[in-house]
Amino acid sequence: MFILPWMKVNAAEENESYDDRYCTTCHGADGRGNYGVQAPRLAGMEPWYLQRQLENFRAGLRGVHLSDIEGIAMRPMAAKLTDESIADIIEWVGSWDYVPAEITIEADAGRGAQLFAQCATCHGADGLGNETLGAPALRGQNDWYLVTQLKNFKQGWRGNGDGDTFGQQMMVMTQMLTDDAAINNVVSYINTLGRD
Amino acid sequence: MTRFVTRREFLNLVGAVGGSSAALRAGSALGLLPVTKTAKALDLFALGTNSKKVAILGGGLAGLTVAYELGKRGYECTILEASHRCGGRVFTVRNGDLIDEIGNRHYCEFDDEPHMYFNGGAARIPSFHNNLLAYCKELDVELEVFVGENNNAYFQDDAVLGGKPVRIKDYKTNVRGFLGEMLAKSMSEQEMNEPFTELEAENLLSIIHSFGDLREGGEYTGSSRSGYETGGFTTHGVQKDIIEFRDLLKSRLGGRIMTASEGEQGPPLLQAKDGMDNIIAGFLRVVGQEVKYRAMVSAINVTNDGVEISYDQDGVRHSLNVDYCFNCIPTHLITGLDHNFPADYVKAMKYVRRGDAYKAAFQAKERFWEKEDIYGGITRMNNRSSSIWYPSGGIHKDKGVILAAYNFQGGLYHTNKTQEERIESHIKDGEKVHPNYRSLVEKPVTIAWHRMNHMLGCAARWNRSRSGWTAEEQLMFDTLQKPVNGRHYVIGDQITVHVAWMESAIQSAHWAMEDLDKRVRAELA
Ligand SMILES: Cc1cc2nc3c(=O)[nH]c(=O)nc-3n(C[C@H](O)[C@H](O)[C@H](O)COP(=O)(O)OP(=O)(O)OC[C@H]3O[C@@H](n4cnc5c(N)ncnc54)[C@H](O)[C@@H]3O)c2cc1C
Ligand code: HEC
Ligand code: HEC
Repeated sequence: MFILPWMKVNAAEENESYDDRYCTTCHGADGRGNYGVQAPRLAGMEPWYLQRQLENFRAGLRGVHLSDIEGIAMRPMAAKLTDESIADIIEWVGSWDYVPAEITIEADAGRGAQLFAQCATCHGADGLGNETLGAPALRGQNDWYLVTQLKNFKQGWRGNGDGDTFGQQMMVMTQMLTDDAAINNVVSYINTLGRD
Repeated sequence: MTRFVTRREFLNLVGAVGGSSAALRAGSALGLLPVTKTAKALDLFALGTNSKKVAILGGGLAGLTVAYELGKRGYECTILEASHRCGGRVFTVRNGDLIDEIGNRHYCEFDDEPHMYFNGGAARIPSFHNNLLAYCKELDVELEVFVGENNNAYFQDDAVLGGKPVRIKDYKTNVRGFLGEMLAKSMSEQEMNEPFTELEAENLLSIIHSFGDLREGGEYTGSSRSGYETGGFTTHGVQKDIIEFRDLLKSRLGGRIMTASEGEQGPPLLQAKDGMDNIIAGFLRVVGQEVKYRAMVSAINVTNDGVEISYDQDGVRHSLNVDYCFNCIPTHLITGLDHNFPADYVKAMKYVRRGDAYKAAFQAKERFWEKEDIYGGITRMNNRSSSIWYPSGGIHKDKGVILAAYNFQGGLYHTNKTQEERIESHIKDGEKVHPNYRSLVEKPVTIAWHRMNHMLGCAARWNRSRSGWTAEEQLMFDTLQKPVNGRHYVIGDQITVHVAWMESAIQSAHWAMEDLDKRVRAELA
């Protein structure tokens, strides 16, 4: 085939189509999380929690505070999703296996266990979450991401939006984590859960 | 209160830093330019009857270079490219093209004509990037001059002359006049007794005079270098008024204007005719059959005698087993793949940060800049859009495509805005230079590299401090440059110390292939 030099010689086809299944560019292969983009694991996430977060991002309840750098990166990714797309994505994410994330934070898990006693009321002693209370599973999630979230809740960068009742509950809970060390301790305890 | 510094005090200040001769030498800081000698002819072993399989992850320029060179030597190459197109950051947009910015996908609506294109990534080729230029020649990629420096383009800063655009020639001529006068006076007063002989001093004075276009006695009284107010052809020219140096000093942009066209961005610059991606097309004319598009790598497993790769294409997971693997996927995306890389290798990848360059372009309904004596070149503004680039090609046609914004360091500012907000910001900024801008431009495209699918960055950032690389950073770099098991190579400009140039992507590929070559020769010997 003769191709004029200015034509799209290197495109696979004309007028490229696209879909909304672009999440793995950031969230890593099979949604296992990617430190390089600070995007957490999605594989194994509860459908109800995934849906709520996508809706929160879309509605501007999350990822809007100027200091919430990572949330700001995620929000436009959800801003244009339709309900149908969200349903499709939930099905897609459901096809990925739960694989606990690599451990990158090691602190005092013993102290963390004491702190976690409170968290367990909502997130469960095994960190498996509780749908009735709206609290997601924490076990096996990327530890660096959990740290960001606890800091963001504590600063009011997440959970402060109008009508974000679940986020507000969690915001209150972070007040017991008095400093970074406490945050690292509780996260390193969460790292011990759900490893098999 | 502003405290005024007299010329003498200023000279004393300069002197206090390094003495006059050192101050004169300070201008040679451009020695930072990397040296590329003549293009290297790669001396790689041809396999002959032996067979070796190679997987190339990412169809960027580095990957294509490997496919091209190893293909010549009988290696069997497969290129896995996640996107619908090859070229990565060599990206030219034309009519109908998809700009795959996740969260803000849009199609380019420029008129469908050869000169109506925009280089959203690489746009300039310095004339000493020899390996790149050699490939252009070898692959029949037509080149033309890229006009970067244009003294008729503008400089605009709200802080200067009420925001009125000033021609770059007026800016430079007046700055040089002032600096020249200052130097000339200080020379005659101080007699410059020490470091110069009489002849040297005389010659220096003459350089200073011509630098500033000074009158007898070292006075700067204006110059015809920036053109005349009126006349100059059939009637005698009337000189323009001097712009008060203090007015020009109100801008923080000064250093940028005086050095914008130096070094790697200095003339002569080149570009591929009708769009930089013609370089990619040149490679694809040879290796195009080896590319699998929309084939997204998901796993890399390095074994003792090869590499096992998984990739997704058309919703199906495929696997590919090869002897060697060359990987130009950006490191911040490699970290999200399944892999079995050693810990120090992963540590290095996690350390590298990604840049956030941002570009935007408009189609212009008419070539309004040509009516202002501008043919190509760059207007520089002290605002977030930062630059307007006028096209080097398509001269005197009806329409053209102009770059409306280029923010290399602070691109997140526009990236974090909606498409509408981005465009409005560029129009507002451009209106300060071209009053009817709003009605003259249409069909915008914006390219936020931080969010471009399968890229998510404009270039790797290795060193965190402005003062250079730490020993630890160098160590991580060295670790990542070396192959894992002699099987898996990270390539691309990301694994050079001179990121964000095509030449660097090519040289990284050459480095890796030469390393491979030693191993293959040893094995087959
Ligand atoms: C704004 C901007 C301006 C620039 N200006 C210039 C200039 O004027 N002159 C110049 O010489 N250079 C310039 N550059 C730099 C030049 O474009 C790059 O250095 C060069 O193109 C890098 O090539 P590469 O092969 O290293 O990587 P890339 O081009 O980044 O290629 C990486 C490839 O990997 C693919 N990929 C990603 N993930 C996967 C996956 N999971 N599976 C398969 N494939 C994947 C991507 O789609 C992409 O094609 C500029 C760059 C930018 C962004
Ligand atoms: C440009 C990169 C990027 C893309 C593309 C992207 N995300 Fe994200 N996502 C992020 C980042 C970064 C975070 C972390 C935000 C934070 O730390 O608060 C995130 C967070 C999330 C969260 C919150 C997780 C939790 O535990 O609360 C969900 C859910 C999510 N993303 C789903 C998706 C889905 C679904 C898609 C595809 C439609 C997608 N993302 C595409 C970057 C991205
Ligand atoms: C009162 C119930 C409750 C308690 C107690 C509680 N949480 Fe939560 N937590 C929630 C809810 C609800 C959410 C979901 C918020 C949302 O939807 O945005 C949440 C979210 C989180 C998240 C974000 C998860 C993600 O994927 O983004 C983390 C991390 C977290 N909790 C940790 C903790 C820790 C650690 C403790 C103990 C210190 C704790 N929680 C105590 C209810 C609770």
